Amino acid sequence: MDFFISLFSDPVGFWNSHTLLISQIGINGIVATSMFLVLYSGQLSLAAPGFMAIGAYTSVLMDLYLHTPLFLNVVVGVLLAGVVGVLVGLPVLRLRGVFLAIATIGFIEALRLGVVLNLPVTGEGLGLKNPNADPLGGVPIILVSLVVVLFIVWRLTKGRLGSAWSAIRQDEIAALSQGIYVARYKMIAFVLGALIASYAGALEAHLNFFVDPGDNQYGVTRAVQILTFAVLGGSGYVLGPVVGASLVTLFPYIFSSAGDYINVITGIFLIAVIVFRPQGIVGRGGFAIVRPAWWPRARLSAPSPG
Amino acid sequence: MLLRLDDVQRHFGGVRAVDGVSLEVEKGSIQGLIGPNGAGKTTLVNVVTGYTRIQAGRAWLENDELTGLAAHRIAGLGIGRTFQNIRLFKDLSAVENVLIGMHVRRRDDTLAQLGTLPFFRREEKNRVEEAYSLLERVRLPRSVGERHAGTLPYGDQRRLEIARALGLKPRLLILDEPAAGMNPSEKQGVRELIEGLNAGGLTVLLIDHDMRLVMGVCRRVAVLNFGKKIADGTPEEVSTDATVIKAYLGTGGEREVHSAPGATGVDEEHEVEEAVASSRAAKEPEKAILDVEELTVSYGAIVAVRGVSFRVAAGEIVALIGANGAGKSTILNTLSGLIRPQSGTAIFDGLDLVNAKASAIVRRGLVQVPEGREILARQTVLENLELATWTRRDGASGRRRIDEVLKRFPILGERRDLSAGSLSGGEQQMLAIARGLLARPRLLLLDEPSLGLAPQMVDEVFRAIGEIHEDGTTILLVEQNALRALAIADRAYVIETGRILLSGSGDDLLHNPAVRRAYLGG
Repeated sequence: MDFFISLFSDPVGFWNSHTLLISQIGINGIVATSMFLVLYSGQLSLAAPGFMAIGAYTSVLMDLYLHTPLFLNVVVGVLLAGVVGVLVGLPVLRLRGVFLAIATIGFIEALRLGVVLNLPVTGEGLGLKNPNADPLGGVPIILVSLVVVLFIVWRLTKGRLGSAWSAIRQDEIAALSQGIYVARYKMIAFVLGALIASYAGALEAHLNFFVDPGDNQYGVTRAVQILTFAVLGGSGYVLGPVVGASLVTLFPYIFSSAGDYINVITGIFLIAVIVFRPQGIVGRGGFAIVRPAWWPRARLSAPSPG
Repeated sequence: MLLRLDDVQRHFGGVRAVDGVSLEVEKGSIQGLIGPNGAGKTTLVNVVTGYTRIQAGRAWLENDELTGLAAHRIAGLGIGRTFQNIRLFKDLSAVENVLIGMHVRRRDDTLAQLGTLPFFRREEKNRVEEAYSLLERVRLPRSVGERHAGTLPYGDQRRLEIARALGLKPRLLILDEPAAGMNPSEKQGVRELIEGLNAGGLTVLLIDHDMRLVMGVCRRVAVLNFGKKIADGTPEEVSTDATVIKAYLGTGGEREVHSAPGATGVDEEHEVEEAVASSRAAKEPEKAILDVEELTVSYGAIVAVRGVSFRVAAGEIVALIGANGAGKSTILNTLSGLIRPQSGTAIFDGLDLVNAKASAIVRRGLVQVPEGREILARQTVLENLELATWTRRDGASGRRRIDEVLKRFPILGERRDLSAGSLSGGEQQMLAIARGLLARPRLLLLDEPSLGLAPQMVDEVFRAIGEIHEDGTTILLVEQNALRALAIADRAYVIETGRILLSGSGDDLLHNPAVRRAYLGG
């Protein structure tokens, strides 16, 4: 509760004392938007943490060894993630649904366990020191980036590209019959998602003095967290996943008294949303109740005509 | 010629779904494509539209070769299509569905969207206007535009799917069963719609099971059976063609084909009506083991069975015959408790089938052998049978029962350790029937036991049915192969679009021209 009291009684003080939190919300919002884009085109891809890792490590390593300017480091990281996105997408995007999810988990785990934790240059699991990080100065850049990314993605969903994505999400077979080159549009969404996620990753790496290769940073735990953003906030509108990301990021602060039980609270909240608002917090329509398949259905007795 | 197919082939494993079909569709015409269930019609459409890879042969749309092109390229060349089981973008509005149909003609506006220039706003407005005019062309009111496609009534969804296909500005429109599941007046609407589109210069390839629609609207009709084209000509030529009648009505075993009703060209309406009138009086048994009264079954907005009543007495073989989509399987599924009816009653041996659980119905002795066999392809023959005795929880007697059943079907005994999927179609059907027998049925429901089988195998399956009947099992048989079913049945009911058209003894119906009408229209 202290959290809310300080938010309303002393907004300036709140801003100053929670800069890192606000930055983290912004970054999670950008990653959530990358997830939105991929889901909007009907692909259950969990590859975002992998691309975040590419953006993060590329930009930090360039800074450490080449001393190139931050802007260039981020651009190179993002472009590299785009290239990897194409290479990963070519075989992986033939898969659908849960199979795609598993394949992309394979990608992020191969990247983290196989590459990041094994190369001397990335610190072999000890992590990477990033002495040039700026935990406080990044806020304006991050928030502006979030707005720009949101705007671009929102506009894209309104154009020809977006209508093709909608069609593919709803029914790939029918989309083909309308002359939509399904494979190409899926690839575009996947690679755009990779670019956005790696950008978020690069920004995030410059908030901390230490790049942590742990599971909850670039592994499955993070992937599931990002998926949670979209499920909680709703993936029907661009703003949905951002709202989800904000809530999930804020939960530990809002319920700071819960201590170690914070995950229990998050879990209960998530289940409640799925049951009562399956379309997510942001979305058309009111509350609904999703009935589990095993729940007894009220029997309808048909009226007999005579 | 607009569409030209030259010796097109597509096999799935050993199944020759499309086996060397050549076909020409004239520009500006309405071409029909018909054939019994499993004839390869939908596969042919999928090959032409690029959904299924062509294995041999070539296809052209005017001067553009279609062979080997991906589905989206073929759509881009101007072949619009609808799907047998409607595939709309359900969560998008009707107008958005049509707008997506206009995808190939839309200028790429990715960058322009970021600036939202007024020029593109105007273009957007024109596009939406065109989408609405396409809705009007399929006679959907403007008010439908904003509604989610999935919430529209069934008939409107069919129309919307056509409007979406028109969004391509197609040179050829392929309609895959546009009138499936519709009532006669809706069908009339579809017919007028197709004629209207054709009058506007559009070439249409129409696939449908409703012969009255196809024969009425098409100038030329091609007939497929077992993946081969068996006839091609005007509706009159095709509907009196002996090969076609044989393909649709089947063969009566020992009975000759030329005794098929209508084979000699019986076509006079009054004769049909007389026959209908006389056979309606056919006697129903006094004491029935199964008594169905006024059964009505709907799938959402589609009424599949409309007030059907019939009875089956112990020891009879009763056949329900009729063309595809008549509602035959729905009746059986309702009796088995798999579908709940909207109204009506069905009593089997004192058990109320409308309210009983499917498992209780089986325990009472009403057992269905489903259409398409539904065997477990990866399990062995023996495992399939063992699973069927599972509910009895009595190892020894189950084993004995399996041995008995295997004695009846010696071919299954020989193949007991082979995987069920490796059996031939006829053997798989035997296995499905054998599995049904293990549940100790007193009334056995057989749904299309001859589906997709070669004539010789059909003989074997029907011989087996006869033997099971002689052992004292009552049988309710659903068949498309009308002549074969009538030859074996004590009594039969002819079903058309969810109603009983006529009923009578098997022999009476065998020579009744109305039966042919129910299948081939007239």
